[in-house]
Amino acid sequence: MEGPLKELGRLEKLVSDSSWKGKTPSINDSLDSLLHSLREVKDRLQVGTATDETLTILSKTVETRKKEIDDRQKEVYNALAKMGKALDKKFHTPLPTYSPLFFSPEANAALERTIALHFLRTGQFNTAETFIEESSVDIDDDTRRQFKKLHEIVTALREQDIGPALQWAERNREFLHNRSSPLEFLLHRSRYLRFLTSNDARGQYAAIAYAQDHFPPFYGQHESEIRQLMGCLLYMPIWRLIASPYANLASPSLHLDLEPMFAKEYCASLGMSRQVPLRVVGDIGGGGALARIEKGRKVMRERKSEWSHSEELPIEIPLPPENRYHSIFACPVSKEQSTDQNPPMMMGCGHVITKDSLQKLSKPGGRVKCPYCPVESQLSSALRVHF
Amino acid sequence: MSANKLNTEGIMLFEQPFARVPYENYRKVFRTSQKNIEKELGAVQTAASDIAKRAKPESSDAEDAIKAVDGMITRVENLKRKLADLQSSSGAPTLGVMRERFQHLMSVETMQTTNDPEFPRWADTRLDRWLVDWSLRNGKEKTAKMIADDRGVERLVDIDLFSDIRRIEDALKQRSCAEALVWCSENKSALRKVKNTLEFDLRLQEYIELARAGKNIEAIAYSKRHLLPWQETHLPQIRQASALLCFPSTTTCSPYKRLYDLSRWHSLIQSFRLAFYNLSTLPSEPLLHLAMYAGLASLKLPACYDPQTKNVDCPVCDPSLGKLAEEVPFSHHVNSTIVCRLTGRIMDEDNKPMAFPNSGQVYSREALEDMATRNDGIVKDPQTGETCEFSALRRLFIS
Ligand SMILES: [Zn+2]
Ligand SMILES: [Zn+2]
Repeated sequence: MEGPLKELGRLEKLVSDSSWKGKTPSINDSLDSLLHSLREVKDRLQVGTATDETLTILSKTVETRKKEIDDRQKEVYNALAKMGKALDKKFHTPLPTYSPLFFSPEANAALERTIALHFLRTGQFNTAETFIEESSVDIDDDTRRQFKKLHEIVTALREQDIGPALQWAERNREFLHNRSSPLEFLLHRSRYLRFLTSNDARGQYAAIAYAQDHFPPFYGQHESEIRQLMGCLLYMPIWRLIASPYANLASPSLHLDLEPMFAKEYCASLGMSRQVPLRVVGDIGGGGALARIEKGRKVMRERKSEWSHSEELPIEIPLPPENRYHSIFACPVSKEQSTDQNPPMMMGCGHVITKDSLQKLSKPGGRVKCPYCPVESQLSSALRVHF
Repeated sequence: MSANKLNTEGIMLFEQPFARVPYENYRKVFRTSQKNIEKELGAVQTAASDIAKRAKPESSDAEDAIKAVDGMITRVENLKRKLADLQSSSGAPTLGVMRERFQHLMSVETMQTTNDPEFPRWADTRLDRWLVDWSLRNGKEKTAKMIADDRGVERLVDIDLFSDIRRIEDALKQRSCAEALVWCSENKSALRKVKNTLEFDLRLQEYIELARAGKNIEAIAYSKRHLLPWQETHLPQIRQASALLCFPSTTTCSPYKRLYDLSRWHSLIQSFRLAFYNLSTLPSEPLLHLAMYAGLASLKLPACYDPQTKNVDCPVCDPSLGKLAEEVPFSHHVNSTIVCRLTGRIMDEDNKPMAFPNSGQVYSREALEDMATRNDGIVKDPQTGETCEFSALRRLFIS
């Protein structure tokens, strides 16, 4: 945006009444000067010192000022045109035109629901209420309550109050245990570290007391971490800790990370996704996917091979690892994606190819030689695998 | 991690209207100032040359000259005031909006990856902006205002632009073309540039309404004045319109029945909207829809629609978003990616896939090891219940 910003700076100077001087005087100055001349002529007319020439000169003065003002306006006009060019250069591709999307009543209802849930999920409760009033979507009370609670707990965490989060974690201990989630321990860790690194001289005592009260049940799972946490006591105060082998325990991200981690576990307990789904979709779509799809489409058009909207994209959109939610198996032999009819099969050697490829590679006697290692195995011993 | 690198060009594809709307607004401010200058200073010029020609200052004409100069002073003072008002009420705020928006775009250009700590906040704001745009296009103005207010993005959204649209559309709904025609005349040259003929359609509608009311004489006068200037491009329509006067509004004769059809008003609203979007460089579809189209298509897989393989973290697997994704194509992949159903993490050299020996269910080594430590070396497949020693699991190789 450097180009447009540079032009904007120029335009701002031209139209502001600051002391900055362009090639031409500011319009305000020209008008003031014109007023001055007019008042002078009026005075002279009143006292009778005006001559024929006075009015001729006045007429010329008006022309001069008008010309000045026109020149200044031309400068502004040129600055605007230059900015237009800078914008053209920056935004060379227009947004594509699609036939109306999500238009059917069913799609519209699904979209409204998605948006309402988005407002709730992100803690915009007033907006959610207004939106629900303005649309036909209905969100049940339970769902609303669950989101309110999530928001309350996360807000408390942000304000360094782990109480509500801890309460929730204790109540859902079994759920967290089954997911091997360390949330509860990490909440305790956060409080312990806050005691330890507080400016209060008694912070260390409070930390030790807290550790004695709360760490023992976690010895089984987090023994080495607890040892490190207690080891911090040897490196107090905080400025020594920062230079110690335990410096990572002084990082504020230890506490900040609790917010997303809590939200993730809380949502999982309710069967909801760990990320805000509309944000995920929007970030991918607005982060290059649309541009790539349009480019792919253009290439297809140039090759005169139309592709149908409803089938499959002509190109692969790269996704970051956190946005890969399903396994994809592309057969290394046939390059085809596996399906239920053509599932992935593991040969005796452990290499995986699709069933069709396996069949094609098989030799008389039901033997098959792996194309990736020289091992030969029995076709019948291949195992269908599920990802 | 190249997939986390910010794709600035892809991001900017969406931002053209964001940058252009205030620019176009400022051009309007400039045109207004130009009009004022022409009008007031033009009159001052004429007055000045008049008195210079005619007046003899020493004669009794001095009174007249003083009056004339007074008039000129008033005009210049007026102009000064008008320009100052225009600058403070529209000019300066519009420049402020432009600066804020350009800088907002600049800030994302300087981020390197999506891991930049500032990026989530930027993306949140972008989604807020899209939701405002969507709400405004869907007649949910209270929601739009609420988002703008609550999230402090008033200067990053175009609520005023849409209230203009709303005002003119409401008039069309009440079967009045006047407001839309004013808009057409304000944007005459821009409309001509994109060869938009909304004005003709509006004029034709006013003519049809005169015919419907049986005001034939007025209709003819109207046609002469407002339709005939379009004869170069719209002669057949003008001829047909003339013939309309032979038919009452109850006619069943098809081309004329169509002209009388009230649904024409609805199409006028649509054409007006498209013309307005076009001139403001806004896409015809909400920005949110375009982003969702591409985002959903990048994620959509057959697995999203199979209860066996649904993943609660996947947006497309969500019932509502899955419904929307029915309108978009499936994603395309040439390489294998194996995602552990227990941890959600991708399996690779450092976290190899392992299969249960009988069921063939595959999970990551990381997840299975964790399970084994907690169960004395025994692992259990959550899908089929198959149980075995960790050591009995089979390594598999995905090339
Ligand atoms: Zn092999
Ligand atoms: Zn899915």
